[in-house]
Amino acid sequence: MRSFILVVGMLAGLAAYAQETDTTEVEDYSQYADAELAGDAKRFATQKVLDQSPNKLISIGYDYQSFYFMDLAYFGPPDAQGLIASPERVTNSFNSGLRLAANVPVISRNNIIVNLGGNYWETRYDIENPENVTNPLALSLDRYGLRTMGLSTTIFKPFNEKQVLFVLAQADLNGNYSLADIQSLKYTRYSVFAIYGWKMHDRLMYGFGLARTYRAGEQIILPLFMYNYTFPSRKWGVESIFPARAHLRRTFNPRSMAFFGYELEGQTYHIANRGNEFDQWLPNNADDLELRRGELRIRLMYERSIKDFIWVSVQAGLRYNWRFNLDQGDFYRGFTGDQPYLAENKIGNPLYINFSINLVSP
Amino acid sequence: MKTRLIALFAMLLLAITGAGAQTTEADVILGVWETGSGKARVKIDKVGEKYFGKIVWLREPNNEEGKPKVDKNNPDEKMRTTPLLGYRMLKDFNYSGEKTWEDGTIYDPENGSTYSCEITMTDENTLDVRGFIGVSVFGRTDVWKRVQVKKKA
Repeated sequence: MRSFILVVGMLAGLAAYAQETDTTEVEDYSQYADAELAGDAKRFATQKVLDQSPNKLISIGYDYQSFYFMDLAYFGPPDAQGLIASPERVTNSFNSGLRLAANVPVISRNNIIVNLGGNYWETRYDIENPENVTNPLALSLDRYGLRTMGLSTTIFKPFNEKQVLFVLAQADLNGNYSLADIQSLKYTRYSVFAIYGWKMHDRLMYGFGLARTYRAGEQIILPLFMYNYTFPSRKWGVESIFPARAHLRRTFNPRSMAFFGYELEGQTYHIANRGNEFDQWLPNNADDLELRRGELRIRLMYERSIKDFIWVSVQAGLRYNWRFNLDQGDFYRGFTGDQPYLAENKIGNPLYINFSINLVSP
Repeated sequence: MKTRLIALFAMLLLAITGAGAQTTEADVILGVWETGSGKARVKIDKVGEKYFGKIVWLREPNNEEGKPKVDKNNPDEKMRTTPLLGYRMLKDFNYSGEKTWEDGTIYDPENGSTYSCEITMTDENTLDVRGFIGVSVFGRTDVWKRVQVKKKA
């Protein structure tokens, strides 16, 4: 009996020793080169090239534009002599506003990635001496500003190790509404793009596609060219979906990078006659106005990790006005349409800064 | 006395075989796996009761200077000369049943970040490796495939 217990005890002790032993040993790694995938496994391209900037899961940002002049066209009734007044010059002291966004993967597999996103952007205006201003658009902007709320879904579908498809669909509610009284969903604007691409190797991916977008301020259909490339030195790279945005990237390390380039931003905003600002100028139809705002942001950007997955992003540059016109109703003008605007405005090109804190994706 | 001895022996046998069954189920993860990108192969081993994975193959083993790649993106400066080959990128996984290994971490040498990680085996040749930040919803799943290493002649 004693010897039996002794044997069992020794066996148990050996087992425990074996489990605690560090199995680290010099290994011939060359044996793992000659291997094949088990079963009917297939390899797929990943959605990014080496050193590409990380996706932002959550972003909390603030945007500020310095002062600029606005030459706002008259669109009221002609005077007794049938004359139209000259544009009115107003000064906007600054624009500012929060920019919140979330973009979370709901399906994340090698053969498909589906992200759902939401965003809230606001642009506040500060018109100088509004009591002396007659232009109703300036008064409306000063009082209510502009807001955008949107939902989006992004799909990345690789077909094999080389061919990939990107699809983005987005629904936005843009206007001068308040959060307490959000405008009707009938003013929802839809954007979509699709790009078919090729991942040639870990440092190069390019593709061609089409977009139906409001980025230039009004609905257009555009061809797209995606080009993401990291140079062999891995210090420099290009991240672009032309013509929407293009950046030259300088990678200091995977947690710190700078960019120089541009992004086209814009939307069409439903301008409601909230405080009857437009009654005198448009006595019969003041409820169906669309502000076509499109702008080019030429910028320097710096992004870095401050702790693990928390990144800061700072950008500064020129906000170049592309379009700031008023239409009655939303319709497709395209590149060749000759429908006149209700008001063609000219606004200045101020400097701007943008700061955000972001939670980035694995 | 004889009856008690048989009972004791039976209990020990049951305990040993029971533990063996548990170990076998948990150990199905052992082996060599290829990451979703196909850039690396990782060998999963068991140390004590925990599971670890080390890089045993890199599609591009050398850097632009032709030297073996090291962990140059590690936030810990002292680790930046550690070779990537042999690097333990999976650490401290416990088997929690239902073909799931959790409480571990995964290290991404491409950006020097370590994430919480949970591994689920969806079939005998496929692992869903989910790296996440804090809560699982803020994460990404990479699907790893088992590789069969050809024995050298």
